[in-house]
Amino acid sequence: MQMRSHGFPCFVVEIIMAASEALRNQVAAKWQDSFNRLNRTGVGISGLMEFSKAWAVAAEFLRPRDLGAPPKDFNTHEIRSAFDVLMQCRMLPMLLESFVACLDMSICQRICGRNQHLITDDVTRFMTEYDASGDPDVIGRLVLRLADWYFAWAPGGELGQTISSAYIVNFQTHVFSVLPAAFAAGFKRLLAATLALFTEGATPGVPASVQDSRLWPSFELLGLADRYESLIASVCYEHIETHVLETCAGKWDEPMLSRLREWMAEKVVPWMLLPYARGAKTAEEARTMLQGVGSRFDFHVCKTLCDLRTKEMFDIVIDYPDSTHALHDLKECLQRVDQRTQLVRALRKSNKKRLLHPGADTKDILTQYVSLIRCLRVIDPPGVLLFKVADPIRRYLRDRPDTIRCIVASLVVDGESGDSLVDDDEPIQPLQSAQVDDYTDPNWEPEPIDAGPDFRANKPSDVVSTLVSIYDSKDLFVKELQVLLAQRLLAVTDGNYEKERRNLEILKIRFGEAPLQVCEVMLKDMTDSKRIDQHVQSQSSSVMHPTIISRHFWPKFQSSKIQMPGQLHEIQEAYAREFMTFKPDKKLRWLSHLGSIRLEIELQDRTVGADVPPLEAAFIELFSEQDVWTLNDLIARVGTVERSAALKALLAWVDRGVLREETEDVDMQRFRLLERVPEDAGAGPVGITTAGSRTALAEEEPAVLTVQQQQAEQMKVYWKFIEGMLTNLGGLPIDRIQTMLKFAQGYDRTVDQLGAFMDAARREGLVSVKDGIWRLNR
Amino acid sequence: MKITVKRWHAIAQWQWDTGKTDDNGDAEEDVCGICRIPFEGCCPTCKVPGDDCPLIWGECSHVFHMHCLLKWIGTAASKQQCPMDRRPWGETIAHLSVHTPRNLDRISISSDRREKGRRE
Repeated sequence: MQMRSHGFPCFVVEIIMAASEALRNQVAAKWQDSFNRLNRTGVGISGLMEFSKAWAVAAEFLRPRDLGAPPKDFNTHEIRSAFDVLMQCRMLPMLLESFVACLDMSICQRICGRNQHLITDDVTRFMTEYDASGDPDVIGRLVLRLADWYFAWAPGGELGQTISSAYIVNFQTHVFSVLPAAFAAGFKRLLAATLALFTEGATPGVPASVQDSRLWPSFELLGLADRYESLIASVCYEHIETHVLETCAGKWDEPMLSRLREWMAEKVVPWMLLPYARGAKTAEEARTMLQGVGSRFDFHVCKTLCDLRTKEMFDIVIDYPDSTHALHDLKECLQRVDQRTQLVRALRKSNKKRLLHPGADTKDILTQYVSLIRCLRVIDPPGVLLFKVADPIRRYLRDRPDTIRCIVASLVVDGESGDSLVDDDEPIQPLQSAQVDDYTDPNWEPEPIDAGPDFRANKPSDVVSTLVSIYDSKDLFVKELQVLLAQRLLAVTDGNYEKERRNLEILKIRFGEAPLQVCEVMLKDMTDSKRIDQHVQSQSSSVMHPTIISRHFWPKFQSSKIQMPGQLHEIQEAYAREFMTFKPDKKLRWLSHLGSIRLEIELQDRTVGADVPPLEAAFIELFSEQDVWTLNDLIARVGTVERSAALKALLAWVDRGVLREETEDVDMQRFRLLERVPEDAGAGPVGITTAGSRTALAEEEPAVLTVQQQQAEQMKVYWKFIEGMLTNLGGLPIDRIQTMLKFAQGYDRTVDQLGAFMDAARREGLVSVKDGIWRLNR
Repeated sequence: MKITVKRWHAIAQWQWDTGKTDDNGDAEEDVCGICRIPFEGCCPTCKVPGDDCPLIWGECSHVFHMHCLLKWIGTAASKQQCPMDRRPWGETIAHLSVHTPRNLDRISISSDRREKGRRE
């Protein structure tokens, strides 16, 4: 208020006139005081005059003007003395204020009709150009231009800190106010261009302004560096992201994280020095300034890589072990970035989508599961991740009918096929089962913090144990193993089953001696058979080399009773007799439908040799009795044999060109022996037209019943009980049936199995179910 | 047409010749009267069937796993009788040839020992 009154004496006088006497005196004193200050020691009002001249000079000196206008010629001495005068009059703050007002106008508004709003004009021009071209260079030039304005208008440093800082604040404020919203985007692109310059080196396309060394100081001058700090960071983040995606996607066979960090140190850090280590005098200082921000960016590198690898995880697992390096990278990233839950979620999702569906082979699922075990063991040795990811897979596998068979088949290393799930270099060890915590262990460690309630730290760790532990009991495996071994042993014709013995020894280590005792007996049967055969052959040589098995130690065979005709029967009898003399207390019962026979058939014009199943041999033997047989007669002669199987056997001979099908109608299929190749057969095999396509229809059935078939057989026994209880008690819920069946000796089915069986019975129309109550259909 | 069998890889089951003629398939399943395990299986103490766990034929036509019977005979309560019909146990010699002396010795010695142990 006081200051203002000095500037406007007339106004003050008016007030004085209106005021009271006391006030008038007071104002008069003040007025005198002010006058003295401005006039100083000057005579009359010469001091005042001097002051007003100095004011004019200083104001003119400070007035912002167009960059294009010719610089006014200032006498530095004159200006200095003018400022001195103002200083003595304590009028510098006033000058500053008027300067600022002037600045405001020159930037934003019209002044006195002649000074156009200079900067606004420039900004508008540049931004229009940028909007049209989208070239960051324009923004670069705009920034440089603004810097020019800044320098042109800056009051000299000699005016003291107050003026220059007030100038800076005002200049920046006004510049920011005129910059349009689009500037931020443009500025971002400009920054990106500068960063690209650092990381990719100078290319011909880089605009000049971007390479201008004045650019960053200009940012600093204009306060852009502070104002757009978050923008700068996001430019860097985005650059890191693109770089990581470009260089690392799909590259799993080399360590990428260390390479990324090198890239950061070599390329990005020099750039980061510009915004983040402004004003650092020494390298040491710069380093401390960069520390915080540097670790933020390093974190971002890890996070980006982690996200990428998480997304790729399923394929990384597929590629294992080629993708080991990617796994190690991921492990390191996960230590820095806590994204374990994301990894688990992503993996579970992709597993569900890509693995656990009916279209996937059980073997593939198992292979993937095993890879997964190995991969996650690299990333997370305690196995928490594995536990979380594996759970759905294990549950799914448990529901698949052929899982056990697949696991067992892969356990029995096949030498040639080499697609076993288990690595050869993994030591063979006994199956481990989960143990309770050992509380006396001095090295005990608590479970990891993100472990679920079901998690057990000392879970079995080797692959086979993990696979076997999918199921609650390993009995199922032993049974399946028995079936598999039986199939393999019966297929051995050359007496070389060393491979099976070796497998069994390995499996014994895993499953223990006792459960595999049965398999041991099977192998012993093989050796015994060989020995007995040697003895029998030495007594009377025979073409027959049987495998004699101990019935109760082998899986159940497909029951089929075929009678071997003619000379085949004689061979059997002769061998059985010889066996009886060797072992008088035993006799042989032939499983005629199993095994294989090598035949040589001499026909009139040719000789046919073949290894055939017994049924085929039996049929062709019958053809030596007469040349034409109907299918029904043939079946009647060999005993109980399924029509489809019989047809298949006959068609096999048709394929070999030995028989010909002569069919008038479906019920009376007749086959004729071809002693001579008929003339019309041409070059191709006989009868291929009708028979060839049909042979493919009948699927080769394995001789040994699978575990499931065996269980179904056994279940039939219990049907009698179920039928009985449903008759006596009416409808029963499944739980009651299960409880009552448990009284039966040897009943070991679960409710689920019983449910499946009852369902099958329902399909056959034996029972019906309503509201969970089962009833007999009558 | 002439068919020559060059080689026949056959599969057969062995069976104890218990004197019964049950040639009509596997419906008949004979079990040892003592352990209720099929003859073609092995007695509870054995692991391998066949010659290592032979049968023993009684004069009374009853057949048992040899190990099972010898253990029974070894007990005082048996009074040397067949567990099925309480007739004095006597082994038919019809099948004796297969029982190797070594086997018999071992079994009888072990049962003697057990006997002795109980008395002491």
